[in-house]
Amino acid sequence: MEPVLELRDVARVFPRGIVALREVSLTVAAGEFVAVMGATGSGKSTLLHCAAGLDRPSSGSVRLAGREISRLRERPLTRWRRDRVGFVFQSYNLLSELTVRQNLALPARLGGPRRRGIDEVLAAVGLPDTGPRPVGELSGGQRQRVAIARALVTGPSVIFADEPTGALDPTTGGQILGLLRRAVDRDGVTVLMVTHDPAAAAWSDRLVLLRAGTVAADAATPDAPAIADRLRAVSTAVAA
Amino acid sequence: MIRQALRRNPWSFLGPFCTQLLAAALVAAGLGILTSIDRAPLGAAARRAVTDTGLTDIAVVFVTLAIYLTVVIVGVTMVATVAQQARDIALVRALGATPGRVRRSVAAQAALVAVPATLLGVPLGALGGRAWIDGVVTRGLAPAAVTFHPHPAALPIALAATVGASVAGALVAAIRPSRVRPAAALAEAAAPPRGVGGLRTTAGLVLVTGGSVLSAAIARLDAETADALGLFVMLALCVGAGLLGPALLRVTALVGRRLGDTGRLAGDTVAVQARALSGALVPLTLAIAFTGVKVIMLKTFEHETGAAPAAAERWLEYSGTSVYVAFAAVAAVNTLVTVVLGRRRDLAVTQLAGATRRRALAVVVCEALLVSGTALAVSAAVAATTTLPLLHTALGTWRPWMPVGWLLTGVLGSTALVLAGTALPAALALRRPPIEVVS
Repeated sequence: MEPVLELRDVARVFPRGIVALREVSLTVAAGEFVAVMGATGSGKSTLLHCAAGLDRPSSGSVRLAGREISRLRERPLTRWRRDRVGFVFQSYNLLSELTVRQNLALPARLGGPRRRGIDEVLAAVGLPDTGPRPVGELSGGQRQRVAIARALVTGPSVIFADEPTGALDPTTGGQILGLLRRAVDRDGVTVLMVTHDPAAAAWSDRLVLLRAGTVAADAATPDAPAIADRLRAVSTAVAA
Repeated sequence: MIRQALRRNPWSFLGPFCTQLLAAALVAAGLGILTSIDRAPLGAAARRAVTDTGLTDIAVVFVTLAIYLTVVIVGVTMVATVAQQARDIALVRALGATPGRVRRSVAAQAALVAVPATLLGVPLGALGGRAWIDGVVTRGLAPAAVTFHPHPAALPIALAATVGASVAGALVAAIRPSRVRPAAALAEAAAPPRGVGGLRTTAGLVLVTGGSVLSAAIARLDAETADALGLFVMLALCVGAGLLGPALLRVTALVGRRLGDTGRLAGDTVAVQARALSGALVPLTLAIAFTGVKVIMLKTFEHETGAAPAAAERWLEYSGTSVYVAFAAVAAVNTLVTVVLGRRRDLAVTQLAGATRRRALAVVVCEALLVSGTALAVSAAVAATTTLPLLHTALGTWRPWMPVGWLLTGVLGSTALVLAGTALPAALALRRPPIEVVS
């Protein structure tokens, strides 16, 4: 089966010569839940941005849902992203003045697909009766559920999650990760999640560790204490 | 905190700065014109001739109007600027600033912007006033002995008007964020209240009703008194409509929602942004209604009597109007730019949700059309209410007359103005990658 995401020799150099990624290759199969970890500045956010088409690699290629996107022009790239990708961010990135329902209708109103019903996804994330409420009135955990619902409503191939539990307490964070896990197991969505929290990474199938812009380790996800050990080993190796 | 606010939002203070500069110039020019006519070395007969052409009256109206417009428009732009800081105010309240301290610092910011703007505006106004006097003399509307003299107290008067209006506007805008408890303020900054204040609606209704009653009353008076009071009808209606602005914009938003997906998004945004956008509605309505009233009066007069006014006379009528209109237009664009720049993050979020740059811009353009549509409808109602009694007392007709070409120019001009204040800054904001804006 063709992988849903394939990065080949991706490098990203920022102006003034700061190298965020150097020659990263990564292949993700459909239905995988991948966690990307690494110390601050290891390039994990840049990796997610390049993989999701939010940023362009300086060199190398990115295939997303069967299409080479690293050289795509802005408009077709936005459309491809809109139709195939869902996002969940640490800072929610919802329109807080609009209602939950208006936020979930946003992708479709912008021309994107609506492969699932709004009520259905709201029920799936455990917020069946919040549709008419403004997002600004909701708690952080509820907002992140809305963000997941918005990602699910288009029926994406991949959900990119950037520190989705970074602003939440462990219990609420666990519920959010449970929702992502369920999207993988039940709906066959692929998830690529960047996190610095070993407990969050423990929900994944596969753990990719980054160090100074390169892949330091890539293996099946162990349990949380073992993740913390590996992360520490990778980080101290940088300091040494 | 003051310095921080100025440094963090230099662009949002540029708007009030421009408006205040123009306001000071307008006041200084009006005062200078009045002084120039007063001080001209004229004999009794020549002076009577100048008074008969109505030049003195025009100068008095010019000054009065300049001060009124300054108070209303400078106040409105300052309200918009401080409203953008609501979240920052909530933050410093949470960090321990007392409500009084917040008010003092907001007032100081307002004064700090107004003083240099006025110092620059007054000499600019003297130049404008000189040009206008020259125009009057070359067109033979006044004897050559009339030369420009600046008003000795132009600077203190202009300062009082701009600083007073600026500080008052800032304080009004700071009432809500400085009074509520910090926790509530932080939450509110994330989700601003959706309803329209009861006090605001009441005041708006009182002004609109008052203006309409006055309009009906002056229809029974003589033409000269009616003409003098007509101005107050218009000002009351414009400010009243501005106070009712959020409610009016919500009505237009309903119309927008029927225009497809882009219209729906624009309608939703206009409805939740109604309070901020209505800050642009006052100057827009003033500008359009002002021009409308002037043009309707002159064109109906031509149409009814069949006599075209002399070129010099027409210049006199339109030169004053165009100055006010330019002033109000600048203020409207300022407020719109402030609102759009305050929404950069929302635009980026829309892009992350799948909007192409073109689509995001289309939504903003649609919002602009909804706002200008509201302004045009309100101005048409204001202009009609203002002109009908004046036409009746002066010409004995109830039928205003406006050539189609002028009407079209007005509609297109106002729409272009609103687009310049919204689509242009939005297009600039959309050039940054959305992920950079939100993170």
